[in-house]
Order: sequence, then structure tokens, then C-alpha cells
Amino acid sequence: MNGRNPENGRKQVMFHDHRTFSFSNIVMVLVVVFLFLPLFVVVLYSFNSSKGMTWDHASLVWYEKLIFDSPSLWMAFKNSLIIALTSSATATVLGTLAAIGIKWYRFPGKSYITTVSYLPMVLPEVIIGISMLIFFSAVKIQLGMFTIFVAHTTFNLPFVFLLVSARLDEFDYSTIEAARDLGANERQTLLRVIIPSIMPGVLSGFLMSITMSLEDFVITFFVSGPGSGTLPLYVYSMIRYGVSPVINALSFVMILGTMLIAWVFRRFLKTIAANS
Amino acid sequence: MSIKDGRRSSERRERRLGVSYAAPMGVWFTVFFIAPLVIIILYSFLKRGLYGGVEWEFSLTAYGQMFNPNFGKVLLRTIWISVVATAFCILLAIPTGYAMARSKHQTLLLFLIIIPFWTNSLIRIYAWISILSTEGFFNEILKSLGIIDEGLHLIYNHGSVILVLIYMYLPFAILPLFTTIDKFDFSLLDAARDLGATKFGAIRLVMLPNIRSGLLTAIVFTFIPIFGAYTVPLLVGGKDSTMIGNIIVDQVSKTRNWPLASAFSMILTLVSTVGVIWMMMSSRKEQAQKKNVTNQQKTEQNILDHHTTGGEA
Amino acid sequence: MRKTEQVSWRRAMHLVVAIVVMSMVLVGVSSCKKQGANGTSSDNKLYLYNWTYYTPDEIIERFEKEYDVDVVVDNFSSNEEMFAKLMAGGGKGYDIIFPSADYTSIMINLGLVEELDHDKLPNLKYISPLVRSKATYDPDMRYSVPYNMGASGVAVNKTKAPEGYARDWSIFEDSRFAKRMSMLDDMREVMGAALKHLGYSVNTVNPEELAQAKALINDKWKPNLVKFDAEGFGKAFSRGEFWVVHGYAENVFEEFPEDKWDEIDFFLPPEGGALSIDNMVVVKGSQHSDMAHEFINFIHRPEIYAIFLDTFRYPAITNTEAGKYTKNKPFYSAEDVNDNFEVLQDLKDDLQLYNDIWQDIRYVN
Repeated sequence: MNGRNPENGRKQVMFHDHRTFSFSNIVMVLVVVFLFLPLFVVVLYSFNSSKGMTWDHASLVWYEKLIFDSPSLWMAFKNSLIIALTSSATATVLGTLAAIGIKWYRFPGKSYITTVSYLPMVLPEVIIGISMLIFFSAVKIQLGMFTIFVAHTTFNLPFVFLLVSARLDEFDYSTIEAARDLGANERQTLLRVIIPSIMPGVLSGFLMSITMSLEDFVITFFVSGPGSGTLPLYVYSMIRYGVSPVINALSFVMILGTMLIAWVFRRFLKTIAANS
Repeated sequence: MSIKDGRRSSERRERRLGVSYAAPMGVWFTVFFIAPLVIIILYSFLKRGLYGGVEWEFSLTAYGQMFNPNFGKVLLRTIWISVVATAFCILLAIPTGYAMARSKHQTLLLFLIIIPFWTNSLIRIYAWISILSTEGFFNEILKSLGIIDEGLHLIYNHGSVILVLIYMYLPFAILPLFTTIDKFDFSLLDAARDLGATKFGAIRLVMLPNIRSGLLTAIVFTFIPIFGAYTVPLLVGGKDSTMIGNIIVDQVSKTRNWPLASAFSMILTLVSTVGVIWMMMSSRKEQAQKKNVTNQQKTEQNILDHHTTGGEA
Repeated sequence: MRKTEQVSWRRAMHLVVAIVVMSMVLVGVSSCKKQGANGTSSDNKLYLYNWTYYTPDEIIERFEKEYDVDVVVDNFSSNEEMFAKLMAGGGKGYDIIFPSADYTSIMINLGLVEELDHDKLPNLKYISPLVRSKATYDPDMRYSVPYNMGASGVAVNKTKAPEGYARDWSIFEDSRFAKRMSMLDDMREVMGAALKHLGYSVNTVNPEELAQAKALINDKWKPNLVKFDAEGFGKAFSRGEFWVVHGYAENVFEEFPEDKWDEIDFFLPPEGGALSIDNMVVVKGSQHSDMAHEFINFIHRPEIYAIFLDTFRYPAITNTEAGKYTKNKPFYSAEDVNDNFEVLQDLKDDLQLYNDIWQDIRYVN
């Protein structure tokens, strides 16, 4: 799946007519420009001293405001971080185990789990949000950090599950048999053999979950409660009212953060691409 | 795979292990995902509570309300917006995925595609508002170039909704297409061209059938979320850009008609489920075809392995 | 090579385990905190649920300092959104909610709010008789204390607008502003405007009157509108995208550079419209009921209420005494809120009449 198969090496040698200015390359460059245009505009305006759209002069005033004068923003950021870490960790553990179980064992309910695990990725966010809101209200669970955590774990799980499954596809089962032959029990095999070798998949899943969780607005909007506002909810209220350029400054900081994460984990990008 | 033809562990043990590995996730999904959906189905058949919520009384009112010509128009609008936006996403994603797969700088390119994708969606929508405004970035550039005198109305219409939807969901189309094209054996294209096909002909006849599963994933993963879009039509749409997603949210957060919101959600869930099952069936079929090939290779490999290890022992 | 890779994966695994443990601890800590909030009243917290951009930071900070309490403010953008959350969460968790008049009466009728102890609220004496007379659902403030009474109006960008536009609701019929106008995405507000323009009550349930209002909006107003917008009309107005917007004064002015405020013509249409009274209610079962009373009383301390008025430049209608302490000139004057403005009432089942009409307005071309 990922990782180069032998044909890839061959294709570079054999296929020569791949020109720099081919149609597909031009489209690709335009697409990358298209994708980055809004980010560029946001960063540009974040250095604008004036409140409006007209360019005044370069200034760091909005960064100053962001850092020193936005306590509720940092509160929301803290909430976001807690939710992202906990829900991703939970999703990583549950998703990894399930991927191992489904890959190697046959048991009743297997196809139920596989089908169900795709759905949260595809189902429109509005529906996940509303169904969870109605669910929590029906079973009388107080909305708050816990309900956000549950919702985020639910939409993170499929990503971990798929990324780990993909990694398991490349895994050679005979390694496990070898470990068993050497007297390892099930737990030892899992911790010493299986998990270390599927680590790239696990880490990619964890990473993907973190970013999904930090980014989510729609679902969180429905399941948040007293004192549990996350960063995207805060951004939403800022977009509606209030001092706009602080959002631009915040966006640049967030874009830099994303870039940093993506670059640190650049080896996993391909695995992530294959499953998102 | 070697599980089956290798050592055959007892079936009971296998079942026990499989369940204990997969049960936590299965239970989680059942409780926190399937149960909410079941409740939604249940609620759609109940009577609305005056102030939100439901009264425990069977009623088909919600479905009656759903077949209101107004909602029909919104549904049609949602369908055509989703079809157009998805089509553009796919048409842009195929050449992009192809170029990425052929490039030597795959990691960098993936990085470039994933960064915007991982940036907060509200911030990106907000940026598009500043770009498309009558006195925004785009119009100011056109003005300073002397192409126009007065800002064009680029925002708050169907066009801006479609554009921003394409923007938001393009990576969902590019990534799966890139992955499948990357696995494609490009020497087949050479072969086709040797046989006299044009470049586009070769791509259409040889490559497209081979990347069918990626294409299908790309379509499902763009069309369904676009179909349920809520924030984009809300923020960049005009007075007539309401989509199904907005109606669902309005029913909960404005009209307090939970059964109607549930009925609409149920329809969307059904559409999504059909999409997922279709996608899974087709990828399973493709895998089955490939497995025939790989099994043959595996057997050869096994024979080789046997010889070498046998020699060592 | 292979071996080192294995070792580094093992290290990475330790990292993940560490993160998992850490995050579990975090969740534990945060849920413990939450338990405290729900279980005891000994923690120094006060949970407020107010409209977005309606709680001045300065007031919160001063209250926190004076009472040594941690105030958590959450925001909602419509009564319905607040109410859906309240119904879903069982109404627990928040101490003070700020619903509008119609929802105040709903919440009182459903028994979701606590009866107030007037001994703890000496500052209620500053609340004007006018507001109390309009608050027919709870005139003696047994359950709710008015926070602010005001109305949505119309803002016109004078630098863009042609001469001689009407300063009433009929401005939305003016096709010179076509594609440059927005109205609130709020059923009762827009319907109320049309009903008042036709000389009817904002609470009418007469189908004939409602049909006329619908025709007015659909045939005369809507063709000139770009959008029904409650999200970003202030920003769009400040960008010069919209020239005429229907909305609340503070949302419009806040987005505009202060030195250009005289470019804005803000008026309340003389035909009247929906009058909104936003109230403070203590949620039934609040764990910080005493502190909530302190907060309500604190808000109506005249010099504190003046901060609220100054921040959003409201006229001193609700707490007239506070008018003596304000520094800024309000965006509209108390006299602009004439007798034509009517408080929105809870219409119960008849609300469906409005819902059906609003669907025809909002969802169809």
C-alpha cells in the first residue's frame, strides 16, 4: 500500500516523456496555488495595522492583542488541547486493537464493525452532531467536556482504524508465529512484536486524530456545554462579532503549528494520504 | 495469506482473541454512534414537543412535513450544487493526483496539499469571504490592474458556495486518487502508446479503469460531505443558497422541530450508508481480483523462501 | 539498520503510552473539576450563558476581583440554540442564563428557573417602571431581572447611499440598494418588522395579517436583499459589501473604525418593531445560587451598569440611574424606542403559522 513497491523504481527509468510543463503538472501547480491562496491572504492581513480590508501599514498589533489580551481565547485553546489529546489517545488505543483483531481473526460481528467504522468518516458532520445531541439529551448526560470527548473519539476512531489496518496489510504474520514459537504469550507478542512494527500506522492515526479534533467545529457546536468551549467555537464567535484581525493573527499561528506537526511527521504523510 | 495456510490455531481461540481485540471499538461505535442514529430514527416517528424535544406519541407528521414543495426545491438545489462541486473536485483531482504520483517530490507535495486541509475550516471560509468581497482581495487586484472599475459581486450567491465547497473538499478527492494512481504501473501507459493510443486516450483507456476504487472513494468522500454541508452555505451563501444541512440545523436550533430534523437526518444517513457499502463492495471486488495475481506471486516467493531457509537449517 | 529502527519504534511507543497516561490524567482532573461544579457549592465558580458579545470583559473582571470568584462565560447566538442546549443538557451546569422575553416566559412556565430572593437584590430599585410594565410575563421580577431592553434597527452607510432614502422599514423596498442590503436571519424580527410596517401587532396570529406581511417581504423586500444574515452582517457592512443592514447597533459599530462612525446612519424605524427584553434568570438547581444573586445585584449597581451601557452604547432605558455615570453617547436615544415597539410573546402552538411562512420566505426563490 504505502512504501515503494518494486515497480516504482522501474517506472522512473522507463517513462521518459514526463515533461515539467505537462497538462497535469500545470493543473497541480494551480491547485496548490488555489489551496494556499486563502492562507496567504489571512497571513497578509494579520500584519495589517488597520481593522478593515484596506492596507494601512505593517504592524504586529494583532499579535500583541492575541498574546496578551485574549484570555478567553487561551482558555478555549486549553479546552481544545485537552479534548484533542484525550480523544486521540483513546481512539488510538481502541482503533489499533480493533484493527489487529479484524485483520487476523475471524469472529462474529466482524463485518458489522468494518462497515460501521467507515460511516463516521462519510456521514455529514451535521448529522453526527445532531444525533449525538439528541442521544445525550435522551440518556440525560450533561453536555460538557465529557460529551465533546465522546464525540471526538467517535469521529477519530475510523482514521486510526484505517491507518493501522493499512499498516497491518504489510505486516508479515510469520513474525508472530516465530514469536509464539519462541514461547511468547499473547500479550508479549502484542507489545513486543506487533505494536512496534505497526508504529508508523499508529502514530499517523494519532496525529490525524489530533488535527481532526483541533479542527472540528460543527460536531463540537452541538455537544458542548457549560465552560467547555473549544478554539473553533471561539473562532466562530469571533467571525460573527468582535475584533476580526486577531483571528488572522491566530490563524497564522495555527497554520505554523500545523506545518510544524506535518513536517515532523512528514514520513507518515503518505500513509495518511492513503486513508483520509 | 499465511494465517490460513500456516499453522491452524483452534477456531475458538481465534474467535475469543478477535472479539477481545475488536470489542472495545465495536462497543464504542454501537453505544455512541449507532445508538444515536437509532434514536434519530425513533424520534422521526414521534410527535414534536412544543418547546423542542419530543412527546412519546407515534406520529407521521414529520414525514408529512418533509414532502413540502419548499423542501423539495431545497433538496434539488442541494443535489445540483453537490453534483457540480463534486465534478469539479474530481476533474481537478485526477490530473493533480497523477502529477503528484509522477513527481520526485511526493513528500513535499503531500505536505502542500495537507497543510490547507488541516487548517481550521472556519478560518479558511473566513479567508474566502475576504477574498471574494466586493472590496476584497480579488476585486482590489482587478481594480489596480485596471480591468474593472467597480467591484464585482462575487460572494453571497450559488457560485461562491460552489467555489468554496470545491476548495474545502478538494483534498478529500486528491488524496485517495493520488494513492491509487501512485500504485498504478505506468509502463502500461507506454505499452498503450506503443500501440498507437494518444496520451489522453491511453490515460482514459488504461489508467482510469485501474484506479476505479480510488475514483469511487474520492467521489463518495466529496459528494456526501458536500451534500450535508452547513457552514459554507451559511457563511458565503446568499438569500437563496440554503441547503439540506441548513434546514436540519434550523429545525433543531430555530424551529424546535426535532422529529423533522430527525427525519431529514435519517434520509441523509441512508444515502451515506448506501455510498459506503457501494464503495466497500467495489474495493472488495478489486482486491479479490488482485489477490488472484498476488497469490500466484506469493506461491513463487514461498517456494524460493523454502529453498533458502531449508538450506540454512 | 533494522535493529535501530525497532529501537526507535519502541521509544516512540513509550512516548505514546506516556501521552495516553498523561491525557487520562488530564481528563480525570478536568472531570473532577466538573464534579465539583455540579456536586458542591464550595468551589468559587459562576457559570454564565449569555448572548455572544453581550458581556463586557471589564464587568466580569471587576466582579471576579471583588468576590474572588472565577466566572465562566459561554455564548449563544439565538434563544433557540440556548434552549436546545438547555433541554438537551437537562438545564444543569449554568447558574445564570440571559434569555429574551418570550423564552423567559417559557422557562418560567416550564419551571426551569429559581424564584429570586429580593432581599439579596437591593439594586432592583433602579430598574425602570417602563421596562417592568413591558415585562408582562413577570412584572414583579419574581423569576427574572431585566438585563437590557432594546430593539434592532437599520444602519445605512452614508458614503455609499444615494440621497433621500426613507428612514423607516420601507428602505428595504428601495431598489437603488438592490444587492446591497441584508436583514437578520431571525423569523420573529423580520416578520415583526413587516407586521409593524403594515400597522399590525408583532404577536398577531391573524392569518390574513400574516399573509400580507409575507407578501410584503417576499415581493417587495426580498428581491433587494443579498442575504438573511445574523452571522457576519456587521463585518460585511464595514467592508462596504452591504450598504443597508438590519441588525443591532453594537454589532454594526463594533466592526467599523471609530473615526468613521459619523458615516453610519443608524435609526430605529418609527413604525416600531420587535422589542427585546433580555433577562437574567437563575437556573433551577444552580449550585451557586448565592453568587448568582450577587452577580445580578452587581450588574445593576449604577456605576457597573454604566460600563455595560458604555461598552455597547445603549441608552439608559433599563437602569435609568446608570445614565448618570455613562461617558459615551449612545447609538440611539431612549426616545427612539417609542410605543410602537412591542415585546415578543411566546405564541405556543400558533408559532407554526410563522414557521410555515418563514419557510416560504427563506427556502424558496
